[in-house]
Amino acid sequence: MQILEKSGLEAWKKAKEMKPEKVISLLNKKGLAGRGGACFPAGTKWEFALNSESDKKYVICNADEGEPGTFKDKYIIINNPETLVEGILIACNTIGAKHAYIYLRREYRYLEKNLTKIIKKIIKKADTDIQIDIVLGAGAYICGEETAIIRSIEGRRGQPYYKPPFPAVEGLFGKPTIINNVETLANVPLAIIKDDWNPNLRLFSLSGNLKNPGIYEMPLGTSLKELIALGKPEKSIKAIYFGCAGGCIPFNQEWKIDPEFINSTGCMLGSCTMIAVDESQSIVDIVTIIAKFFEYESCGKCTPCREGSMRILSLLEKISLGYANMDDIKLLEELCCVIRDSSLCGLGQSSTMHILTALKNFREEFEEKCRLR
Amino acid sequence: MQITLNGNKVECEKGKTILEIAQDNDIRIPTLCWQEDFHPEARCRICLVEVNGKLMPSCSTKIQKDMQIETETEKVKKTRRMNLELMMADHLKSCFIDTSNHELCRIVAEEGIKNIRFEPKKQHGKDTSGRAVVRDPNKCISCGRCVQACRDTQNITAIDFAYRGHKSKVTPYFEKDLHKTYCIKCGQCILSCPVEAIVEQDHTEQVIKHLADPKKHVVVQTAPAIRASLGEEFGNKPGTLVKGRMVAAAKALGFDRVFDTNLGADLTIIEEANELIDRVKNNSPLPMFTSCCPGWIKYVEHFRHDLIPHLSTCKSPHEMLGVLVKTYYAEKQGINPEDIIVVSIMPCTAKKFESAREELGNDVDYVLTTREFAKLIKLKNIDFNQLDEQDFDDPLGISTGAAALFGATGGVMEAALRTAYETATGKSLAKLEFDQVRGTEAIKNGSIHINNIEVKFGVAHGMMNACELLESYKDYHFIEIMACPGGCIGGGGQPIPTTWEIKKKRIEAIYNEDAGLSLRKSHENPVLKKIYEEFLGDIGGTKAHKLLHTGYVEREL
Amino acid sequence: MPDKLDKIIESKKLLLPILTEIQDRDGYISEDNVRQLSKKTKIPLSEIYGVATFYSFLTTKPEGRNIIHICNSPSCYVNGSLNIIEFIEKELGIKSGQTTEDKLFTLHIGSCIGCCDKAPAMLLNGEVHDKLTEKKIKGIIKKCRS
Repeated sequence: MQILEKSGLEAWKKAKEMKPEKVISLLNKKGLAGRGGACFPAGTKWEFALNSESDKKYVICNADEGEPGTFKDKYIIINNPETLVEGILIACNTIGAKHAYIYLRREYRYLEKNLTKIIKKIIKKADTDIQIDIVLGAGAYICGEETAIIRSIEGRRGQPYYKPPFPAVEGLFGKPTIINNVETLANVPLAIIKDDWNPNLRLFSLSGNLKNPGIYEMPLGTSLKELIALGKPEKSIKAIYFGCAGGCIPFNQEWKIDPEFINSTGCMLGSCTMIAVDESQSIVDIVTIIAKFFEYESCGKCTPCREGSMRILSLLEKISLGYANMDDIKLLEELCCVIRDSSLCGLGQSSTMHILTALKNFREEFEEKCRLR
Repeated sequence: MQITLNGNKVECEKGKTILEIAQDNDIRIPTLCWQEDFHPEARCRICLVEVNGKLMPSCSTKIQKDMQIETETEKVKKTRRMNLELMMADHLKSCFIDTSNHELCRIVAEEGIKNIRFEPKKQHGKDTSGRAVVRDPNKCISCGRCVQACRDTQNITAIDFAYRGHKSKVTPYFEKDLHKTYCIKCGQCILSCPVEAIVEQDHTEQVIKHLADPKKHVVVQTAPAIRASLGEEFGNKPGTLVKGRMVAAAKALGFDRVFDTNLGADLTIIEEANELIDRVKNNSPLPMFTSCCPGWIKYVEHFRHDLIPHLSTCKSPHEMLGVLVKTYYAEKQGINPEDIIVVSIMPCTAKKFESAREELGNDVDYVLTTREFAKLIKLKNIDFNQLDEQDFDDPLGISTGAAALFGATGGVMEAALRTAYETATGKSLAKLEFDQVRGTEAIKNGSIHINNIEVKFGVAHGMMNACELLESYKDYHFIEIMACPGGCIGGGGQPIPTTWEIKKKRIEAIYNEDAGLSLRKSHENPVLKKIYEEFLGDIGGTKAHKLLHTGYVEREL
Repeated sequence: MPDKLDKIIESKKLLLPILTEIQDRDGYISEDNVRQLSKKTKIPLSEIYGVATFYSFLTTKPEGRNIIHICNSPSCYVNGSLNIIEFIEKELGIKSGQTTEDKLFTLHIGSCIGCCDKAPAMLLNGEVHDKLTEKKIKGIIKKCRS
């Protein structure tokens, strides 16, 4: 796997000799896109922070991997922490930050000890005065959102705020800050040092009704059939969920997994999470489970997500128990659209995608529940 | 910069928000969580407009060149209505929509929403045990305006959001009742709240009961700031002085006597100026801080025990008047003090707390806010604007211009300086107006030579500003602090809305009142001269001290 | 106790790690601790309370000696987490958010813990237990009780 290759601080040494602008243009030339879900070019993000003048700057490594079904960052932290830490050091050095935070989700606390050891080791080897601290999350899905992560590290409620100002201009403690996902930062040294580094390789987290779930590194554009075959399904697969926030598609074997195509189906590939659901499962039940998740994890700041997620769950429970009628489905759909269109942050906006796509692709399962009445 | 607003090309200034541009162009965009002078948090999602096809919060989106903005598309309307419905679902259960005239209900009516498709679900406990400020979290729509007011203008954060998702709510720490916390009762949260989820403890019923009781002699007094704001409750323009009609309304309500807290204010000044001169002479703790603002007092008692010796020991004006009513007046009229009920009409919610302080006994029985007083007048169907003007009753109805100033930030300082200078030097001031302490700047200061001593004074209003001034308080001899921005005219008991524009008009009215009076110095109040002669004895003497001064306690956080 | 709090503040600096440390030390964040913390850090009491109640791994009430976070996200759900949850609830006699009378267990049904490839899974005092079966649960509970 490409992501398991090591740089052994070669990239750090190389980047240190280069002008920051050169590092950034190299990353852009190599095509390193953010792996947190938004696919924003990493170099461009860095450039904003580089150009923001300030006495202090920060780098935050987003290790708050909260999207259900996703465990690729954990895989990297366990299997290649050296390269991740090196990537953080390169990020700091490039934008001029002396201090980085790794925001590690609380559920991964058992990784903290080893990661701390590796940080110490790498910093010593790299002979730098850059400081890297691990801040442990405390259980909040929303803290994967970049403005919420900032608030959380600052010691406030982990609620997102409206951008601008963008973090690269005014972020942690009011200072220019870049926030990159674990997979992005771990790829930085490899992109810098390896000539044959492939920007299209992604870590897919496969889980669900599969015999061999796990992390698989595959290029974007792989067919759904080929990808799911890696996980060895035992029964016939009905639907694929791109985590909770990415929505669902029917299992159409020929479809190619690339972000643009997935967007055209009304879904989001996000961080390459794929939960396979076989024919024995009820889509309405899964939608209800996911709605419960969003109701539990809504931060409560904006009206549509706070009140709407709770109303959606009630409606779905009603449908799932067979007490609903077609008007309830209409209301559900209207509410989903309002939450999508008017929530404050990306997480709120994507929180109903799973319902809207389920209604699009598996509507008959909802209507059947209503017809029972 | 040019943008397109609802199809029209509009020239506008860079750096402004869409909401500001819409307001400049008289285009209605409803808002709930947005409030003047605060950083917009874009929580409520009511002010969304369509920008190049995408919904954006107009309160916090800055305009950009060639933006295409639509404020009333189907998508905007549908989204706005759904979000309002979501808020109303729980709010409605606890709200008397027919009698409520708060922002949310007004917007819902404007939008023509008749049917709420969701059942109420919240079952929060109410917090109604406090003497001053009470809350019903079931009405709350989590707009966060009260939290902003408490944190950003007042630097207190007695309330904040807790929990998350739909379980989140605004609450004091560990869900305590507000009156068991370090809340200073200033009531700025009440002025901010668009849904009446946080309001003053209502004492109108008790007052009505006493008014109906023939055995009780019910006396009312009105604070300096009421005459400059009460008119707004009856459709008068901000800044309309309604002293005569206010007195007439009180009489129409059946109060046996209508006295003027301004006389109490004059008395406060006489005692306080004397205390200041004393402290300067005797090397007692300086600076001395004013003590008429009960919010400020409670702040010191919770947060700054070190400053307690610096607080003037003078009671606040309405408490001084209250004690005069129950002693001097009762004696003179031959009424048993126990049969007298003193009601104070105050611009303030903290005064409700103050009147219940143990140290102050029962000199004031009830405090009503400006809003509650207006409610009483409306309940009795009194046509306020048609009333003939009347004068305050004898003997406690005569006051000076200095007392009138108490309603505005810097007013107590100005009144005190007039008296301190003239009584200490024996000379007359050439100019009565102290421009250094007038106006609405955050912190004001200046100095005056009194008998070769340069007396330095400072003034702050709003607790955030006060905290800033406290960082250098040792530079001063005398400091006036009012917990509410603008002083009492911006008090937590004042008519809603209370914006800066309105506050400035009220302040203007107060300065006009002072300028229009022939008596403008507290120490020249003829009634008080008589009362000192007949009853109180020396200024700052034993009897005056016993009746007119008080003490403070250390409170925990 | 207050001296120890000083040490925590000094070493952790940021509020969230300070609260985490208190949670670990005491099993919850008490009113008294919040009060002390507020005095020392000048962060208002109500603000600290707001932070402490925001996160699901922080609590303001005492919890049991063993804390179970069981995942009920789609990956675990399609692999039978519901049965496992029902089984645990029955074995312990408590629902999500509750603590057993003997103060031995607190149960939280929550979000994904990132063990989707070994579903269904849970955290017991921060440690992963995966590929859960009723038999495995029985063994875990027995071990905690002894």
